[in-house]
Amino acid sequence: MSVEVEVNENDLAEMVEQVWSSYLDPEGLNPLIPTYDQNQPSEVHSSVSITGSWTGHVVYASSTLAANRAAAAFLAMEVDEVSVDDMSDVLGELANIIGGNVKAMLPPGALLSLPQVVLAPENTTIYPTAVRISGVYGIWDGEPVSISMWHSRSDNKEVDE
Amino acid sequence: MKILIADDSRVMRQIVVRTLRQAGFGDHELIEASNGREAFELTTSENPDLVLSDWNMPEMTGIEVLRQLRAAGNDIKFGFVTSECTPEMMQAAEAAGSLFFIVKPFSAERFDEVFAPILG
Repeated sequence: MSVEVEVNENDLAEMVEQVWSSYLDPEGLNPLIPTYDQNQPSEVHSSVSITGSWTGHVVYASSTLAANRAAAAFLAMEVDEVSVDDMSDVLGELANIIGGNVKAMLPPGALLSLPQVVLAPENTTIYPTAVRISGVYGIWDGEPVSISMWHSRSDNKEVDE
Repeated sequence: MKILIADDSRVMRQIVVRTLRQAGFGDHELIEASNGREAFELTTSENPDLVLSDWNMPEMTGIEVLRQLRAAGNDIKFGFVTSECTPEMMQAAEAAGSLFFIVKPFSAERFDEVFAPILG
């Protein structure tokens, strides 16, 4: 029996918008402008895994500059003050927040992992048996940012068969 | 009042501190724990008045911290600030004696709404 995906692109976009309005763009000056381009480049990424009633990954990817700007916004500092540790911590927190919100919309019995951060492009991480099922792809203040959901087929017998 | 903020994310601890200040609660003494076990130990040793805890943390999860505190007879005011919020988690938190459940991302207004009755 396959597991219905209960989080669609509109849901994901709404979660992302909440992160922007709460932390990255509280004054509404620099929203994430959709590009709908799932192949846009990235230089860093972070992810959380979800297992249980639904199995897969939530991935946040961006340019290094966008990640530094995100860290500056989260930590209330100037972009040129942001250290690599600051940037890594904020990338992890972004994946954690969005992943947690995704989990809340899934059937009961899902577990969220601690975040993983990779200071390399998104396509350097391979998720075995997982396929991208949705995403929000955009430009934030001129820099690429994407949030995507990857569904592992290991919990989908129809696909396995 | 003394408030313990427990979150394995340094970034989120900073944001919680900042948001508490924005919501007008910056005058309280704020202490921090970076994992569940540290949260349990600091709650016992520092005797804060309120604990704001993440759910998903290394060493011990937030709900394990709360249950262990209650099992030890500690009735400190305790609530969750977490990116995860499912009905079963909220039920488990309430059953264990949690006072509130704040979901990330959160605003200063949300903090004010939850903490004004608790902190005055």
